[in-house]
Amino acid sequence: MHGPEIQWYVALAALLFTVGALGVMLRRSPLIILLSVEIMLNSANLLLIAFSRLHAREDGQIFAISVMAVAAAEVVVGLGMIVALGRRNVELDVDKLRTLRG
Amino acid sequence: MTAATWTCLLLPLASVIVITIGGTHISRRAAGVISTVTTFGSFAAACVCLGILLSEPSYDRAHTTTSWTWLSAGQYHFGLSLLTDQLSVMMMLIVSGVGGLIVLYSLGYMHGENEERRYFAYMSLFVFSMLLLVQGANLLLLLAGWGMVGLSSYLLIGFYQERPSAIAAAKKAFVMNAIGDATFALALFLLVQQTGTLNYSTVFALAPHHGAAANLIALGLLGGAVAKSAQIPLHTWLPDAMEGPTPVSALIHAATMVTAGVYLIVRCFPLFEHAYFVQDLAAGLGAATLLMAGLIALVQVDIKRVIAYSTMSQIGYMFVAAGLGAYANAMFHLMTHAFFKALLFLAAGLVIHAVAGEQDIHKLRGVGKLMPRTRAAFLIGSLALVGIFPFAGFFSKDEILASALASGWYGHILYVVGMIGAFLTGLYTFRLFFIVFTGEPSAFAREHYHAHRGQEGPFSMLIVVFVLAVLSTISGWIQWEPMWGLVSKWLDPVAPPLVVPTSRDDWLSSAVALVMAISGAAVAWAIYSAKRLEAPKPWAVLEHKFYWDEIYDVVFYRSSDLLARSLGALVERPLINGSLAALGVGVSTGARELGRAQTGLVRSYALALAGGLAVLLVVFVAVK
Repeated sequence: MHGPEIQWYVALAALLFTVGALGVMLRRSPLIILLSVEIMLNSANLLLIAFSRLHAREDGQIFAISVMAVAAAEVVVGLGMIVALGRRNVELDVDKLRTLRG
Repeated sequence: MTAATWTCLLLPLASVIVITIGGTHISRRAAGVISTVTTFGSFAAACVCLGILLSEPSYDRAHTTTSWTWLSAGQYHFGLSLLTDQLSVMMMLIVSGVGGLIVLYSLGYMHGENEERRYFAYMSLFVFSMLLLVQGANLLLLLAGWGMVGLSSYLLIGFYQERPSAIAAAKKAFVMNAIGDATFALALFLLVQQTGTLNYSTVFALAPHHGAAANLIALGLLGGAVAKSAQIPLHTWLPDAMEGPTPVSALIHAATMVTAGVYLIVRCFPLFEHAYFVQDLAAGLGAATLLMAGLIALVQVDIKRVIAYSTMSQIGYMFVAAGLGAYANAMFHLMTHAFFKALLFLAAGLVIHAVAGEQDIHKLRGVGKLMPRTRAAFLIGSLALVGIFPFAGFFSKDEILASALASGWYGHILYVVGMIGAFLTGLYTFRLFFIVFTGEPSAFAREHYHAHRGQEGPFSMLIVVFVLAVLSTISGWIQWEPMWGLVSKWLDPVAPPLVVPTSRDDWLSSAVALVMAISGAAVAWAIYSAKRLEAPKPWAVLEHKFYWDEIYDVVFYRSSDLLARSLGALVERPLINGSLAALGVGVSTGARELGRAQTGLVRSYALALAGGLAVLLVVFVAVK
């Protein structure tokens, strides 16, 4: 086994996830929120691949690839919506988009 | 035989179909003629049946013809089969004969009415139903006919549908009869359970001979008979049924349908003999009814209602006879009663027809002077009803009393009641006769009397009244116990009597009944014709018909009304309506409160997600 121990991977993934989660919760720009979601997804991918390598099995890597595919699709939809909002001259601030309030 | 039987049954049905489908394509007159001709056709077929039966030995006169299996359910099969024997032929002759005469009378009586066609279709429907009732070879067909005569009776009582009182009377008749139909049907269920069939011969052979089942079966049948024949306690519908046209009162509510109860008891006599208590009850109810109806008839002021109460009273006599086991006597009185009661109704109908529908006897006072032929016919009917020699009632009623005299202590009680009834019959019948048909005509009668082309009525009405007057005079002679007894000889193989009066009983009861009847008539003469006696003030209890309607009103109508109202106030509105309303309010309030959680702020959702995830993690770790 070469490279750092598994703990480092887990710690890095946790750090990335926290950064992503805080970004989703604290930032107002939809663009940044989308990016933060990507960071969270990638932290999960990092863990999948790390453990896959630890156990010397391939399924974790395969799963990571499908997560990337889903993430790509999600980004397409999310960015499309953001572009649509921008074209309508809506202010890009999620705190202002509150029409779904009950 | 088969052909004649089916012809008799189906001709009136054909008439119903033709008149109904023909609608306005056939004239009103033609509808009446079709109805009359088919009913007389049935009568002819019944005569053929009679002729065939007469040519056969008396022990082998029962014929059953089955067309197909009418109803089958599991192991039970009920055929559409007709029974022709002495009893059913006698009823067929009465129903189609008297029915034909009365439909003929209706040609004149109903002329110019609106919806004559509907009337004649109903009349034919009634004749068909009644024939089905008497010809059916199993109790199921009898029940079917039983229900259908109830339906035709309902339709005809409510024929003048623009009168609210007629509609109310029709409903009342239907409801009272439905009670009887229900007990009748329950008895049949019990019979099917006990014997597995409803064919007369098998049922009578297999029916339980004692115990609760036998009593319940007989009681259920008696309930049906009592309702249909207007006996205590289900009698209150008959006087109201006089709202129908007069020929309907004559045919359905005097001559045929109301006597179906008597036919039922005679037809099912083995079932009643297995439950002698119920049989005694039938006789007792008949005696109570004949006395009560006779008393009420004394104070009625509507000409048709007097005759209606008299009908109840006379059917009471038939119930006494059937309950005591003198079946032939019951049927004999049924036959003579059909003649003279139809005569009385139709003569009254002539009067009503001639004075523009008035029925109050005080307004009609003295109208007989203007209508001498009607007066003669009514007098013959009255004499036959009261039982004066040599008219029909003398022969038939006195035999019933003689049978009562020969039936032990219970019979003696009934005998005394019957004698009082005979006195009352004389009194109320001749009260009616003397008020309406003797003395100087009232101003009302003079003013409203309209002769029909110089006659007292149309020819078709007069001829029928004439024929019935002849029948009321001579029909009693076919049986004069103890000299000869054609009716007994004819019916005894079908329904052997339980009691045979001695000739001493016959003479004694004839003499006493004659004295009672004549004294009743004499009292009526003294009060209402000669005016030597003051007419006593009518008692309130009689004017209120012994408060039966009021009692039923309180016991059934008001109590259930009160129950419904209090349930509405105490249960429905607070509990059911209230709980549903509270449920709605609760759901909508809850939804509104819950909706507040939807802030629309995406970041708060994200926080909730993260928080939830954190809680779950802690829980999983802690549980592990």
